[in-house]
Amino acid sequence: MNNDLAIQFPAQWVNSTAFEEGLHGASPHESDATQVGFFFPAKCKLMIDVAVRLLSLVNQLDATGKSVQLAFEGGTSGVQGYLNRMGFFDHLAKGISVTPRRPRVSGARTRRGTNARLVEIERINKDSRDERLPATMASAVAKACRERADVDDLAAAAWTIFAELIDNVFCHSQTKLDAFAALQVYRGGNSLTVAVSDSGVGILDTLRPALELENPLLHRLPDIDLLVEIFRQGISRHGQDRGCGLKGCASKAIKYSAGLDIRLPRIRVFLSPGNGGYRRNTAYCFSELPLVWGTHLSFRFDLDS
Amino acid sequence: MKQMSRPVIVLADLMESDEAWGRAKGREVFQRLIDEVEAHPGETVFRVSLRGVRRVDISFASETVVELGRRYRGAKGFCLEHVRDYDMLENWDAAAERKDQPLMVWNKRASQVLGITPTAGNAPAFQFALKRKYARASDFATEKSTTVANASMKFNQLWKQGFLLRQQEVSPSGGREYSYYCIR
Repeated sequence: MNNDLAIQFPAQWVNSTAFEEGLHGASPHESDATQVGFFFPAKCKLMIDVAVRLLSLVNQLDATGKSVQLAFEGGTSGVQGYLNRMGFFDHLAKGISVTPRRPRVSGARTRRGTNARLVEIERINKDSRDERLPATMASAVAKACRERADVDDLAAAAWTIFAELIDNVFCHSQTKLDAFAALQVYRGGNSLTVAVSDSGVGILDTLRPALELENPLLHRLPDIDLLVEIFRQGISRHGQDRGCGLKGCASKAIKYSAGLDIRLPRIRVFLSPGNGGYRRNTAYCFSELPLVWGTHLSFRFDLDS
Repeated sequence: MKQMSRPVIVLADLMESDEAWGRAKGREVFQRLIDEVEAHPGETVFRVSLRGVRRVDISFASETVVELGRRYRGAKGFCLEHVRDYDMLENWDAAAERKDQPLMVWNKRASQVLGITPTAGNAPAFQFALKRKYARASDFATEKSTTVANASMKFNQLWKQGFLLRQQEVSPSGGREYSYYCIR
């Protein structure tokens, strides 16, 4: 039995698709390996949604007793420097080893809030709830999208989206592991990405047992179709009168032509805004993915349309 | 129409800041809303002022005033005033829609129903009530040349769904009749 598992990322931008390609064939949660290494070449760059998904995944592996190593070929002048600026190492489980070494000073702690183009990784924990987090993130959206004529409306919608997403973590996560949220503006890509990631059981796993009794028709839907319906019509394990949060979130995001990427323990769906809503037939779906606990959501907005 | 004097609940006074979100926070504030309602035992209509409220999300809206409306449906009514912007209207609307709870919003004399709207068949009766302090089925039947039984059924449905409140009166013929009124 091989005790080591190596996951290598490419020397280029790693978006959520490339992240899945990196994990493909190496499912660290299910592997017999007791030591898992993640390798980042010098020119590797991580998108913010990938950074928070990675953070959740490695903390999960650490919590299940695996020995985890993160190796950054470029050291702090490469992607490790960016992760440090975003606060990644502030939230990284203490047992995880980092090479060449963990940064001595956190870039997020010394410079938090000084760059309008990002919101550093924030911990989401229901025992220490940051009431201002939706406002902080909405304010970053407003600054980044100030060229848009509808910036005030967009910032208001963004506040609701963040509030609902964060509240959803509290409702579904059921884990002692922290969840995370972060935001990054990509001027070159004319876009802004906000990511929220938790390490709970996943939104479908909390929903299905309730649906089996209350709505057998929905319960019979395949995972991917059910996921689309959660955002399209609003479905909740707490009955007909709940579930408005994620639906409302989606309808606001659609108004601003935002794309929505959802990663659950085994599936991933990318919903692109179609005519008047997110639809199953315009969704990109991936199933039978390597196990990653939790619900990982990211919205992508254009800066100036 | 002269503004009736109704108890006003200032939602901001029950919140810790001008923004509130999430179901847990909503449930905390809901208890404070119940206290406010119980402090006025004889009142049936409460105006909930959103003055000083910058933002609430859909989940918070759902657990507070919308839940209050549902809990007391048919007995007491709650309407909103001083809604800050369209985005807030949208959030209150989404929350009310999910609970099938009509929620009236007043802006001076103009009104809007959030959540659900009366059916096409009941809409004229609702409009009739909206223009009056009290509306009786017999008056509506006379104006619309329909039967009192038909008019009564429409008002009864509007009452059950939470669009209107009602009180019982003795009619001129000596029988009992309901007079219906809007939540304002």
